[in-house]
Amino acid sequence: YPLFQLGGPQLRIFRPDFFMLAVRPGVPQPEDTVQFRVSMQMTKVDIKNYLEKIYNVPVAAVRTRIQYGANNKRNHKNQRVKKPDYKVAYVQLGQGQTFQFPNLFPEKEQDAETQSFDDFKNKYMEREQQKHKGDPRRGGVPDWFGL
Amino acid sequence: MAARGCRRLLWRGRRWFSQAESAALPRPPDSLYPPVVASATAKSKAAKRRRQEYFLQRVHAAPSIEEKLRIYSQRQRPKYMVYPQTFALNADRWYRSFTKTVFVPGLPPRAAAAPQPAAGAAPEVGGAPGPGAAAPEAAKPPAGPAPFLDVAELRSLACDVLLQESFYQSKGRPFLYRDHDHTAGPFLTQLVSTLTAFLCGRNPLLAASTLDLKPEVNFYWHHGEEVVVHGHRKGRVDPVRFQIDDKPHLQIRVPKQLPEIVPLELDLGEVPVINHKPSKLPLFKKQYENRIYIGSKVADPCCYGHTQFHLIPDKLKRQRFVKANLEDQIEVLYRANGIASLFAWTAAQAMYQGFWHEADVTRPFVSQAVITDGRYFAFFCYQLNTLALTAETIQNNPRKNICWGTESKPLYDVVEDGNVKGFNDEVLFHLVCFLLNRPKEL
Repeated sequence: YPLFQLGGPQLRIFRPDFFMLAVRPGVPQPEDTVQFRVSMQMTKVDIKNYLEKIYNVPVAAVRTRIQYGANNKRNHKNQRVKKPDYKVAYVQLGQGQTFQFPNLFPEKEQDAETQSFDDFKNKYMEREQQKHKGDPRRGGVPDWFGL
Repeated sequence: MAARGCRRLLWRGRRWFSQAESAALPRPPDSLYPPVVASATAKSKAAKRRRQEYFLQRVHAAPSIEEKLRIYSQRQRPKYMVYPQTFALNADRWYRSFTKTVFVPGLPPRAAAAPQPAAGAAPEVGGAPGPGAAAPEAAKPPAGPAPFLDVAELRSLACDVLLQESFYQSKGRPFLYRDHDHTAGPFLTQLVSTLTAFLCGRNPLLAASTLDLKPEVNFYWHHGEEVVVHGHRKGRVDPVRFQIDDKPHLQIRVPKQLPEIVPLELDLGEVPVINHKPSKLPLFKKQYENRIYIGSKVADPCCYGHTQFHLIPDKLKRQRFVKANLEDQIEVLYRANGIASLFAWTAAQAMYQGFWHEADVTRPFVSQAVITDGRYFAFFCYQLNTLALTAETIQNNPRKNICWGTESKPLYDVVEDGNVKGFNDEVLFHLVCFLLNRPKEL
């Protein structure tokens, strides 16, 4: 973006090509804090305006940090492979709102049909394995072992 | 005894207490063999417990208060720096959980009902009992009827000070973010010194008090436990350390303690429990000197606190909160400042009397604070009932510290052409009540 100088025009961005990704926090965060991965070029003011103007989310405070991506892994040519750096933003919501990151993979309740089918499948697999087992009186010793 | 002296030599390594050892030798031992106790230097839980007990014994057996404070704050480790004046959101809830404080809105009935205004003066201000009725805490029975307070004279004094600072005296333009030092700071200093001098006759405690200008108040304490996240001590359980370094604008210290507001064991509410780490507030860690200071050293006779006066800096003024759509955080700022500053001050006073988290306070310590930004005033009272906030001592401790506080109210609306418009008598009345607060014997 063009550098701002005193008396120059206010920078206005109408169609930002930034994206913000809401992520589940690795460490438990307070109820009013939402964690985002944002572009490295975004500032705290940018993030605040983005959320307020585009998504109408009241933002009270924003704190950011840059997560360094490690450079330790090696590929088949023994060159170091870098994981990309990214910026993490912790946004505290205003007006007493709270946010809890949802559980994206809930356990589905199995209905009777799938449950009985699963039971049948397990029983069949057990019977197949029993067939391939040898004589139990030999105590797990293979049948080619002997005189 | 000899064995313990030997072990002390091993721990220090460099210092040789041979004289102390020979002085301790002459007593014949009770049994032929030394006592069978856990090792003091092994990497075991019993050894850790023994080292901890030895530390507690050293603090208990310290010969003087200075020595006790020195041993208590000797070990330096990274600790959270708690700032009383903070822009953090909902800071007062976090500070209440760190200091085990219950917040009660409004002032306690004793502080609000103290003196009686003059019958001929302007309107009765709220809270004053009926004329002639003996307010049990305020009236001095042997000295006849309590002397009346002239509200008009007090109001004219306050208006004079305000006009002098903001109208009559021609000052240059303040530098960036220095508005509070320009007008509000000198106004507060002059107001407090004038009112204190005026009320000295009524309150002999004020005559014996000390007024500190920009003193330092520091306090260091442990509260709760956490697991060390990374470093060579990863995985170990450590106490969470906090330090408050506060610089109130003014402070009145007195030689006699203020009376208790409510009994020691009274329960007035719930302390918020926050299960997150303090760093989410956000609060940051640093390692530096663990200091415990009330504004003067231990030998000073004025070792009890009376009132603190805090000035809100320009970076945290109301206008900035309003511009950022954070109106509800204005009161949070005042409350957090009151709770943190007063906890640090009262707890440091208690430590100056020899109490600490193993030897809990036997009488409540009371202090007051006025927090202002030049125009809006908020009043706070704090009663310290317990210092036992560490993980071991907090378990069987039912006592809680209590903080009473008001919302911020304007003292005046605007200063125009040598007149103060919209002067609020109630705020001045509260201020005067605070200054007249004294123990019952006086």
